[in-house]
Amino acid sequence: MNWISTLLPWQWALFAAVPIGIVLLYFLKLRREPVEIPSTYLWSRTVEDLHVNSLFQRIRQNLLLLLQLLAVALAAVALLRPGVQGESTSQGRKVFLLDASASMMATDAGEERNRFELARKMIRDQIDDMEERETAMLVTFSDRAEVLQSFTSDRGRLRAALQRAQVTNRPTDIVGALEAADGLANPRRSSTTGDANDVQVADPMPADLLIFSDGGFRDVSEFNVGNLVPTYLQVGSDEARNVAITAFSADRNVEKPGDAQAFATIVNFGTAAETFNLSLYVDGAWRESESLTLAPAEETGVTFSLAGQETAASLELRLESPGSGASRDQPLDDDLTIDNFAYAGLRPLRTVSVLVVTEGNKPLEIGLTTDSAAKVCIADFQSPGYLDSPEYLARAEAGLDDLIIFDRCQPKELPQTNTFFIGALPSDQWQWASDPGQTILVDIDRTHPMMQYLELFSLLIFEGRSVSGPTGTRELVGGDNGTVLALAPRDGYQDLVLGFEIITSAADGTPQTNTNWYAERSWPVFLLNVLRHLAGAADATAAPSFLPGDTIRLRVESQIESVGIARGSGTPETVRTGNSGSVEFVDSDQPGSYRVTADEKLVDLFSINLFSRQESQIQPRETFELGYETIETAGMIETRQEYWRWILAAVLVVLAIEWWLYNRRIA
Amino acid sequence: MSVTTESIPLLSPDLLAKLERLELVSRKVFRGRMKGERRSKRKGQSVEFADFRNYVPGDDLRLIDWNLYARLDHLFLKLFQEEEDLHVYALIDCSESMNFGTPTKFHVAKQMAAALGYIGLCRADRVSVQALGNQGRRAPVLRGRSGLWKMLQYLESLDSGDNVSLHDGVKDFSLRNTGTGVIVLITDLMDKSGYEAALRMLVGRRMDVYVMHILSPEEIDPPVRGDRRLIDSEDGDETEITINNYVLERYKSTLQSFLSGVKTFCSRRSIAYLPVRTDQPVDDVMTRYLRKRGVVR
Repeated sequence: MNWISTLLPWQWALFAAVPIGIVLLYFLKLRREPVEIPSTYLWSRTVEDLHVNSLFQRIRQNLLLLLQLLAVALAAVALLRPGVQGESTSQGRKVFLLDASASMMATDAGEERNRFELARKMIRDQIDDMEERETAMLVTFSDRAEVLQSFTSDRGRLRAALQRAQVTNRPTDIVGALEAADGLANPRRSSTTGDANDVQVADPMPADLLIFSDGGFRDVSEFNVGNLVPTYLQVGSDEARNVAITAFSADRNVEKPGDAQAFATIVNFGTAAETFNLSLYVDGAWRESESLTLAPAEETGVTFSLAGQETAASLELRLESPGSGASRDQPLDDDLTIDNFAYAGLRPLRTVSVLVVTEGNKPLEIGLTTDSAAKVCIADFQSPGYLDSPEYLARAEAGLDDLIIFDRCQPKELPQTNTFFIGALPSDQWQWASDPGQTILVDIDRTHPMMQYLELFSLLIFEGRSVSGPTGTRELVGGDNGTVLALAPRDGYQDLVLGFEIITSAADGTPQTNTNWYAERSWPVFLLNVLRHLAGAADATAAPSFLPGDTIRLRVESQIESVGIARGSGTPETVRTGNSGSVEFVDSDQPGSYRVTADEKLVDLFSINLFSRQESQIQPRETFELGYETIETAGMIETRQEYWRWILAAVLVVLAIEWWLYNRRIA
Repeated sequence: MSVTTESIPLLSPDLLAKLERLELVSRKVFRGRMKGERRSKRKGQSVEFADFRNYVPGDDLRLIDWNLYARLDHLFLKLFQEEEDLHVYALIDCSESMNFGTPTKFHVAKQMAAALGYIGLCRADRVSVQALGNQGRRAPVLRGRSGLWKMLQYLESLDSGDNVSLHDGVKDFSLRNTGTGVIVLITDLMDKSGYEAALRMLVGRRMDVYVMHILSPEEIDPPVRGDRRLIDSEDGDETEITINNYVLERYKSTLQSFLSGVKTFCSRRSIAYLPVRTDQPVDDVMTRYLRKRGVVR
């Protein structure tokens, strides 16, 4: 049993005056009301009788006074906060790491609203139990760490900081929080170990590292706990139920752009089989439902077909209760709600605009006007002389085209868009790496989307050269003498460079073929790939999805000065566009479908989803790796057993008895 | 405890009619002063034969039984039971303590005295209803129904507040009245110097003593609670007390032991002890309770 005084000495002195005052008041206040009676004969005898056991009688007489003094004494004891100390920390310094990631919103936290509140309560108990000499620090972590309160022994500030802590919709990354704690506990040295001049820049501050989490993060391998003594306080129950949508996207059918398809992956992370409905809503209106039953840890993919969806659409996928009647269409009541909803956007059907600058290239022309290509692209063919026209300059400056193909020619300045150079180099950063000569293709990078479905080893190339590009250049096709097709990034754009020409001009100007590629089946496929992935026709239909808390970067037309970004049908937030139409949006904590509008016209769509298996896997982990240590859960940390609440209850009981006795006496 | 002025008549006509049929019972046979309706110790004239005795010169010749003389040739006197009157005293305690209760104990005491007195008057007894203390000196001695009015007038004129002790009052009465007879002491017995001496004195005078103990409900179950200063109405004595249930219980047990003490004291000395509550109707007390207790018949 130990005591924590809650009053200062002068306050105690004041408090001591209270019982003295009660005693004085008791004697001053006791004015007996005179009553005339026939005779005090019997009363005197009664009083004499009472005097026989006078001590007991005196107690009876002053019972109210005694009860009042007892109440004051109990209050004094309560103010001393008696309690039995649980584990006492040896460090005198604590770092509270509070997991604020999405999985902490799981509601399997007993009486508390969710895991986060439970963890918060655990920390509050810890703060309450802190002794005067102890200091503590509070760090929350989701995908980033936030130091809410640095080391202090002021419990009020710690409580205030704890009150400020909010659970987020974000995934978990504990490393930042560990680094924040590490910086204080394990100060870096001024130079390398073993140096005679090595000085320690600060005293190490050993601390208890109390991690309040469900363990929903990756093991941290490259971390040395050093002076930190980690304790893992697992939050959450092992019987948590959770069904999650771990992936959801929508895309248009390339063949039939009016039709779209939505794909979803649903996983049951709970320990029992779950039956639920999966409902698809398009622009808020119900479109389709499917009933599913998933065994524990089972995963399934679901495809929805959306016919006649030509306009832009916001898609929402919900997990709903399987019941009928009132519970129908109600969200599925599992322990984590955030992953029961998924959003996807379907951009309006649009074609890419391609400018082709060439002296004449029939294979290119044919390739860009095939049925498939024509559906996604509008090609504009111009001669190289067009490059000097003001119209081109304005067009290049504004980035009106999604792709400009330079066939055997080179602009003075690279345009603000993606480019494809055929038999030419974009800028000085590019060089020819070999002399012209017959080229045999050796290597194809099939992992790149532009290279998929291509069979190029049968190509004949009469004269080709290898190219070398700036830093970051990626070889897509390698020949016997070096890179033949390369892709390099440039200020957010991409330049694709082909080291050989398709058509050459003879001395007399007649075109000649340099390769048999145009006759191959792979030629139109390659062009289609370029249109889809370099000109952006592929991602023109499916809106991107981001994680909560991500910084969202979008590109809109550069003439647009500002855009409005709204979640669902909410009020738009105005965001100014940066250079060449780049938009950065940081208020991305809420999952949902977001619409980007300019002058009330829809410009773009994106969605924010918690597609994180780590967060959805809400069964708390028993252990995790930290550096070379395995940290096991400490269960509930033993806190100080406080008795002041019971004592206060006793004060109330005493006061109630006193009041009852008083009323009985005067009644 | 409220003190009220009583405006209720001492005896109602109904009660008077009932009282006329009653008779005071004397457990002893006393010698009366006048011829009355009660059997006396004396032999005298009545229809009831008592004894014979030898004639001695000087006896009334009218009493000689001539039939016996004819048979036995001796003169015998034939003696008859004498019927005489009875002395009935009703003593009322007029102390201030009697002036409590609703109706006041004093009023009830007067009613009792009037009723007993009227019974006596109807039976041609010698009735004297007196107050203890100075007011008793002017009490009339009455006989016959016609004395009712006078008795009532005297009773109406009595005031409480004549704080003499029971002993002094009884002593004063004894000095003034030497005769024997039935005496009904109507009192609340609340005398700090004790009631024993007074009763002993009455018993010592070979009176047939009845003690009518008047108690108000407020005394039996006091309605006071809390921190009080109790002031004695007679001597102004003060008792500070915190009255709670425990103290009340103690008071009640004290009262009970006091009552049983009186009862024991009386029964040892052949005194009839009659506790009467003021909330009992006089009618009921006279016609049922006292009859049951053998005071009247």
